Amino acid sequence: MMVYGLRSYLSSTVGKKFVMGVTGLIWAGFVFLHMLGNLLIFAGPEVYNSYAHQLTSSGLIYVAEFILLGALLTHVILAIQLTLSNRAARGSQPYACTARGSKSVLLSSRTMMFHGSMLLVFLITHLMGFKFGNYYETTVNGVVMRDLHRLVVEVFSQPLAVLWYLVALVLLGVHLSHGVGSIFQSLGLKTLSNEALIKSLSWTYAIVVTLGFLSQPIYVFLMMR
Amino acid sequence: MSQRLHSQVPSGPLETKWEKHKFEMKLVNPANRRKFEIIVVGTGLAGASAAASLGELGYQVKAFCVHESPRRAHSVAAQGGINAAKNYKNDGDSVYRLFYDTIKGGDFRAREANVYRLAEISTAIIDHCVAIGVPFAREYGGLLANRSFGGAQVSRTFYARGQTGQQLLLGAYQSLMRQVDRGQVQLLTRREMLDLVVINGRARGIIVRNLLTGELERYSADAVILATGGYSNVFFLSTNAMACAVTAAWRAFKRGAFFANPCFTQIHPTCIPVHGENQSKLTLMSESLRNDGRVWVPLKKGDTRHPNDIPENERDYYLERIYPSFGNLAPRDVASRQAKYRYDEGRGVGGKEAVYLDFRDAIKRLGKAVIAERYGNLFEMYEKITGENPYEVPMRIYPAPHYTMGGLWVDYHLMSTIPGLFVAGEANFSDHGANRLGASALMQGLADGFFILPYTVGNFLANVGFNDKVSVEHDAFREAEDRTRQELKRLISIKGNTSVDAIHKKLGRLMWDYCGMSRNREGLKKAIEGVRQLRELFWNEVYVPGELNEINPELEKAARVADFLELGELMCWDALEREESCGGHFREEHQTADGEAKRNDERFCHVAAWEYRGPVEKPVRHQEELVFENVKLTTRSYK
Amino acid sequence: MHQEERLMSLTLKVWRQKSPKDQGHFETYTVEKVSEHASFLEMLDQLNEQLIREKKDPIAFDHDCREGICGSCGFMINGEAHGPLKRTTVCQLHMRHFKDGETLTIEPWRAQPFTVLKDLMVDRTAFDRIIQAGGYISVDTGSAPDGNAIPIAKPKADWAFDNATCIGCGACVASCKNASAMLFLAAKVNHLVSLPQGQVEREQRVMRMVAQHDDEGFGACTSTGACEAACPKGIRLVAIAQLNRELLRAQFCYQEGSKEEGI
Repeated sequence: MMVYGLRSYLSSTVGKKFVMGVTGLIWAGFVFLHMLGNLLIFAGPEVYNSYAHQLTSSGLIYVAEFILLGALLTHVILAIQLTLSNRAARGSQPYACTARGSKSVLLSSRTMMFHGSMLLVFLITHLMGFKFGNYYETTVNGVVMRDLHRLVVEVFSQPLAVLWYLVALVLLGVHLSHGVGSIFQSLGLKTLSNEALIKSLSWTYAIVVTLGFLSQPIYVFLMMR
Repeated sequence: MSQRLHSQVPSGPLETKWEKHKFEMKLVNPANRRKFEIIVVGTGLAGASAAASLGELGYQVKAFCVHESPRRAHSVAAQGGINAAKNYKNDGDSVYRLFYDTIKGGDFRAREANVYRLAEISTAIIDHCVAIGVPFAREYGGLLANRSFGGAQVSRTFYARGQTGQQLLLGAYQSLMRQVDRGQVQLLTRREMLDLVVINGRARGIIVRNLLTGELERYSADAVILATGGYSNVFFLSTNAMACAVTAAWRAFKRGAFFANPCFTQIHPTCIPVHGENQSKLTLMSESLRNDGRVWVPLKKGDTRHPNDIPENERDYYLERIYPSFGNLAPRDVASRQAKYRYDEGRGVGGKEAVYLDFRDAIKRLGKAVIAERYGNLFEMYEKITGENPYEVPMRIYPAPHYTMGGLWVDYHLMSTIPGLFVAGEANFSDHGANRLGASALMQGLADGFFILPYTVGNFLANVGFNDKVSVEHDAFREAEDRTRQELKRLISIKGNTSVDAIHKKLGRLMWDYCGMSRNREGLKKAIEGVRQLRELFWNEVYVPGELNEINPELEKAARVADFLELGELMCWDALEREESCGGHFREEHQTADGEAKRNDERFCHVAAWEYRGPVEKPVRHQEELVFENVKLTTRSYK
Repeated sequence: MHQEERLMSLTLKVWRQKSPKDQGHFETYTVEKVSEHASFLEMLDQLNEQLIREKKDPIAFDHDCREGICGSCGFMINGEAHGPLKRTTVCQLHMRHFKDGETLTIEPWRAQPFTVLKDLMVDRTAFDRIIQAGGYISVDTGSAPDGNAIPIAKPKADWAFDNATCIGCGACVASCKNASAMLFLAAKVNHLVSLPQGQVEREQRVMRMVAQHDDEGFGACTSTGACEAACPKGIRLVAIAQLNRELLRAQFCYQEGSKEEGI
């Protein structure tokens, strides 16, 4: 028996992790761009709305959404598959103790399935709240477009919504802190010499993305309400 | 003396004996090889390499080991290296020099032809091991690195950091697993050989106990190879692994294989001393430490001061004092014996069996960094075990049993006195004489397995043919199985009040005191009496918990100790009747005026091979005269 | 000697299981007067001697060389593979690292492919089968060129060696939440692929070994690093990244024509 050929590769543990890595990479890249876009909130409603309008009015958005949705579904399905088979590999008898000393590992790396699932729930509520949320209109430079800025201010004026975003975005950070490094591992890009670099990159990336995202609800809640 | 001890050494000049003999030996047609079955017991360096090579040739091989995997065999623990006469260093090495060093190091108690063949094959071993992926140490230029080892004057030792044995064993193991994959070798793990089946004077199979189910199983074959290691564990405390035992060899001895030179044991000078009653085994610290460490004891008896508080003029650097030219690099047997004398004089460290190995001066001279570079991993290991930092406090070391040169007698073909029974590696007696040189054990194990047995076993099989098969239903198999079962049942049924280990420890102490680094007539006689009493105690008082048909480590131990209790006596007889000192065998009655070993070449230039004569009668001592046509017998001097 | 020898008493909660089919349970024992210089296994020997005196069944555990190199020993101590000390097997773990009066929970390696045979003994033969699937270089005895015919750069040889030091103890599997054997597998693949001799069978080796790993029922690597922390020989997690690359590379570089019988 050999792991050779696309089907065989993709059904092997290594191949599945490769696909997890690629789909994770797509989303890790997406959240970064999304975060950059969000920062336009500081530039005022007109810039913010124009950016959103330009993004959604081009046909490319459908391609992007298609890729993102595909990557997400693949990521989620594989995560479920791997979790099930990994649990089966672990066996039915759990350990009585877990490591606490020098041989313990970061909780974040052991709980990817947990924050992953939370993020999925968050994503659905997030899309419902914004993409498919209340539709307001505004006119910028004579162009009629969706007033996303108003919606953002509306949502982030509610303390509960802000709290929920706070929690979810921190979980996103946690997921990224392990996920980004893991991508390099699963894609076979890690080497002895870049190992430390990848570790710090992974953490920096997670922190930057999380703080960038967090700035919007906090700014809106504190300054614009 | 005995007609049965034909060494089968081919005629002709030493240098061409093996080459010529390879041509003279019969071959088995490749198409016929699969018609032969070969049993290999033990999967250390010798066993794994033999099984792999025979599998490659096309024989049907069954490989047995007591471990769960062949990779756990004790060859894995060898640290130092493997010798080969490659002369890569351009420092004057040659096959002849390796041969000469080995035969001289063995104090002229080994067969010339065997040792020459070993030296001749040594180079091919390195080539093959490199080819199968053994990651030997390399120089920056990418070529193989060598070091001088064990006081050798040339750098001929190949190594893989301090884990040469591990890397070689994994190489042999991987080759073996490749043959398992090809279906040429059937691997039978967690099985312990408990009897040899001899039919019409020929080895035809074995009885093993499946250690997981406790069941006894029978296996037949056209030839049986034992590669089951040495018997240092007769001393209870040794550097051997816990499962190392004489059992397979001993059971073969009881079926008619002669046991040669059982008293030739090697006590390694640099081991970590015993810490207390519950010590289970000893750990070796590589001999290379003596290149920079200075060995000393306090001058004053019962000096309890901290070593760093003892001034220079109150220290006795005894190896440097007694052997000014070799100093701390005196050979293993000499260094060991001198440490024992210091303890006997009451000058052991803290009154215990220990001496100092001090790096203070080396650190002063070379700096801590250089010492760390050379011995870092060893220092770490020492600190792990003792909790003391050897950069600051001198190491404490003491000799410990390490290797046994004695073993089943074999001829030039590595065949024992039972036709069809071959013995390889440490289990045979052949190449190291009365003392083994550092980095020679790995060489011998692989030489036997990779490059000798594939020829000699083939020759044997070609002579006997493949039509003469026996079934495991043969009466001899049934009898052997019954006998084995009765013995095991007997062990369980004693239900006494002493544990196996308790008796084994007593045996070990007795052997260590009277048949260890230095021996005398009175002591040996006392030990023979003592061993007999322990045997008596064992068979009346031992408690073996559990059942026959289950995983039962205590039963496994009990069966092994039962054999050690018989071997111990034979070792003492052999030591008693060898009225000379040679190599690791030091008889106090036979020493020079200044306390060095005194050989008696007139009377004892021979191999003593013992023949079993039943449970009551003393084994009979046979002799194989050693003829030296090429080297002159000299006296080793390290002054 | 230099300091007084410290003696301690310990409470041990040990997993007892008569056979693979048995349910298994914890039993609590007390051991007194344990020397700080004893190794963990010597402490268990002491307990076993005590059990034998009481005519009870001693605890079965695998062990052999007691020098940390054969890979036989290993179990969990308070949830840590080989106990609290890094780069150490239980046979080299000494009691001075524990406190008097401490309670220790001792359990066997647990993983679906590692059946518990008895008490702390488990079956790790799956590792042999992974090696059997290609963890070797197919060179027959007698055909090798001179050992110095192919120079190997020292860093490459060193990396090969670092990976080759794996002792196959199973701590990586035992401590991995997915019971993945990737570290074991990666160590062998890296060892052989780092050497020129290992190039020839490079592709089919990794393809067969990963297949065998999966067939044995080991889990996937999720890069938690638990294996690296537990490994007594310090095999690096990054070895698995190299393995992942090897398998991917093999998908493109493997030529089916090179597949001969009996590889």
